[in-house]
Amino acid sequence: MEPEGSAPAPPIFRAVASSTRPLYQLLKAINFTNKVHIDITENGLRFAADHARVMQGVAHWSKSLFTTYTTNIPSGPAQDSTSAEDSEKEDEPLPPTFQISLPALLETLQIFGAADAAARQAKADADPYRSNLRNYRSDAFSNHTLGMSGTCSLSYAQEGEPFSIVLDESGVSTTCNLTTYVPETPDDIPFDIEDLSFKIITSARWLLDALTELAPTSPEKLTIAASKREPYLRLTSSGGPLGSSSVDFDKGRDLLETFSVRQRWVQTFKFDIIKSASEAMRIASKVSLRGDGQGVLSMQFMVEVEGSGPSFLDFRFVPYAVCEDEGEEDEEDEGEEGAEMET
Amino acid sequence: MVILNFTLSEEGVAVLHDALACMFKFSDDVCLEARMDKLTLTTLNISKSAYVCFSFAANRFFSRYSFEGTPQYRDRFFCQLYIRSLLTIFRARQAGGDQARDRDASIDRCDVAIDDGLGKKSRLVARVSFRNGITASHSLPYEVKPPTHAKFNRDEAGNRWSISSRTLRQLMDHFGPGIELLDINTDEEARVVNFTCFTEKVQKRGAVSNEAVLKKPLHTNVAVEMDEFDDVEVQDKLHIIISVKDFRAILQHAQMTSGALTTSYSNPGRPMKLSYSADGVLCEFILMTVGEKDAMTQKHKNPRANNAAKAARPELDSESHRASSVAANENQQEAPASTTTSRPQQQETPVRPRQSAFEIRPQPMPPPTTARSDSLFVDQAEDDEQWEPINPDADEEEEETARLEWNITNEPNPSSIRIGSYLSRQAEPQDVPPDRLASGLEPTQRLSEVRRFGLFSP
Repeated sequence: MEPEGSAPAPPIFRAVASSTRPLYQLLKAINFTNKVHIDITENGLRFAADHARVMQGVAHWSKSLFTTYTTNIPSGPAQDSTSAEDSEKEDEPLPPTFQISLPALLETLQIFGAADAAARQAKADADPYRSNLRNYRSDAFSNHTLGMSGTCSLSYAQEGEPFSIVLDESGVSTTCNLTTYVPETPDDIPFDIEDLSFKIITSARWLLDALTELAPTSPEKLTIAASKREPYLRLTSSGGPLGSSSVDFDKGRDLLETFSVRQRWVQTFKFDIIKSASEAMRIASKVSLRGDGQGVLSMQFMVEVEGSGPSFLDFRFVPYAVCEDEGEEDEEDEGEEGAEMET
Repeated sequence: MVILNFTLSEEGVAVLHDALACMFKFSDDVCLEARMDKLTLTTLNISKSAYVCFSFAANRFFSRYSFEGTPQYRDRFFCQLYIRSLLTIFRARQAGGDQARDRDASIDRCDVAIDDGLGKKSRLVARVSFRNGITASHSLPYEVKPPTHAKFNRDEAGNRWSISSRTLRQLMDHFGPGIELLDINTDEEARVVNFTCFTEKVQKRGAVSNEAVLKKPLHTNVAVEMDEFDDVEVQDKLHIIISVKDFRAILQHAQMTSGALTTSYSNPGRPMKLSYSADGVLCEFILMTVGEKDAMTQKHKNPRANNAAKAARPELDSESHRASSVAANENQQEAPASTTTSRPQQQETPVRPRQSAFEIRPQPMPPPTTARSDSLFVDQAEDDEQWEPINPDADEEEEETARLEWNITNEPNPSSIRIGSYLSRQAEPQDVPPDRLASGLEPTQRLSEVRRFGLFSP
């Protein structure tokens, strides 16, 4: 792409953060794919990960996570000259979008603290008393704990350029250029907010606990049922070799902060895809579960980030087609007959 | 209909988890046996050298316990389950953490029910209620299988001592990793009891493979004054050798109960029993001890040679006995259980796939841990009387209570009372006649005919 003038144009995006920890935490929650889509907007970065079109995870890096945040989003024609005939779109700036390798980005954000770790190791070597017992514990005065782990500046010059991350820490500067890929622009999984069947807000920890209860039988499927009467919210695992389990949430005792069910909603999902949201459940404080008329499940997690407002993680899941449930019941019946033979 | 129904408190769940965790060190699955007055969990390790039994008293351990006999299970119900799946159900949950009290996620209570009957799924259902209002229910499939209990002859075991399990656990800390055997012995004046740990694991060194060295040439001896024991009565200079791994697993659990651990044993090559109890739970372990001679000489006999001997024998013997077995078949088609058959042909029946190992139902079998079983094996093949007919009625009774017993003929100590059976094996079969049903079967039985002897799961 030709530069617009003799002087280099300001980069599309440039931001500086003093701590990579919240950035890393948020991204790690959607770490279930190789490539992640990044949209750059005025208010922050949006990361969208997609798994086989049945699961979608979106993380936001809000502007408030950075000490400086500047964007120079080009107007329509500059970004895409072929769409010149689209006169309406000329006025609306299209957010720059591209794909990037998520594992590589996560790796990069982890470089921070490397010098810290080296310093700690040196200290441990010098002091044999704390040798192997304590060096896993972070020091109360380490840069990491104090949140002064240097600076991290992110920039994206223009379309086709690498996404560049420069980490400065105690005199050591690390520059990482991550290759950007042409976006696939997948549509979001459709979720109809107008046609909600239920909405439940609860502590994310309870949801994680429930999944932990269900996981040991290594189930294949997870059925989520929300109803007005008991059981209000029930998660059932099935298809595992060691039996089946279910977890019920009682309506009382402040367990469910918000509970509104318009109609009984039962959908079955692949257990593993719901489980890939467990990192989000771990770091989030609250979760909002919503199901729409088509059976799509939306989980929104509220993550409290120190020093800035809450961040949100958004997951959407597509359920199994209903006809598969019958096959599963057949299997169950067979299992029952087998058990009776034994008795 | 609900056969078994009980409720555990949070502490009860923890105790049950500890017991299961201890059993998991011995075996992968556990037999559950419920009676009116108690719930028993038993397991036997794969080499059948160690047996673990935990009995939970119905009125003391459980908050609520009810057992209702059905026509099928009149006075007891039994089943077998995977320990691994039980462990995850009965594990302790983290309490509220840094959150407030009302967000407590610890266990409030745990209801377990076994609901069985016609047209019902046979499942063990455990409902765990948490203090925060979440209820998790797990349903596990189980196998209906009668438990195997090891026999231990209390009268025979003249040696015994008991000691605080904590003290004993502390002693074990002195023994390093990688050791295999523990020798419990007394000195000449019988003033101390020695716990000696050693290993015989041999490592080949260098290209010349006949140069062998001990892998862990560490020999640790802890001498404990007699005063440390509460009740001690041990024969002088008696060496009793058990596996350290088993012993450690027991002590690991025993120290949590903080009670006194009692052991009783007789001679090398005979089982040893360890037991302790706490708050309505009785824990019993029966370990096979290593015969003195085995430990010293035969333990490391080349296993390949043994296998070869085993593999070769059936062919050889089945040929030599073919004529007699065919004749027997013709004559006794009607009464299949009352014929004289040879040992190798028994081996071909599907009922007893693991001849070399310690057997459960046909009682007199080679002992578990030691390699000596092979010599025994050959001897018995010539002993036709061993396979005499047995009383089928007696077996019906026995069928559901398979008892495990270590071989009596294997008495290594000639001075013992069993010298007679040691010298002439013909005398021995009369000792335990009713247990020997399965061994009397014709080799050519149809499966359907054998089935009524309860050799397969009903």
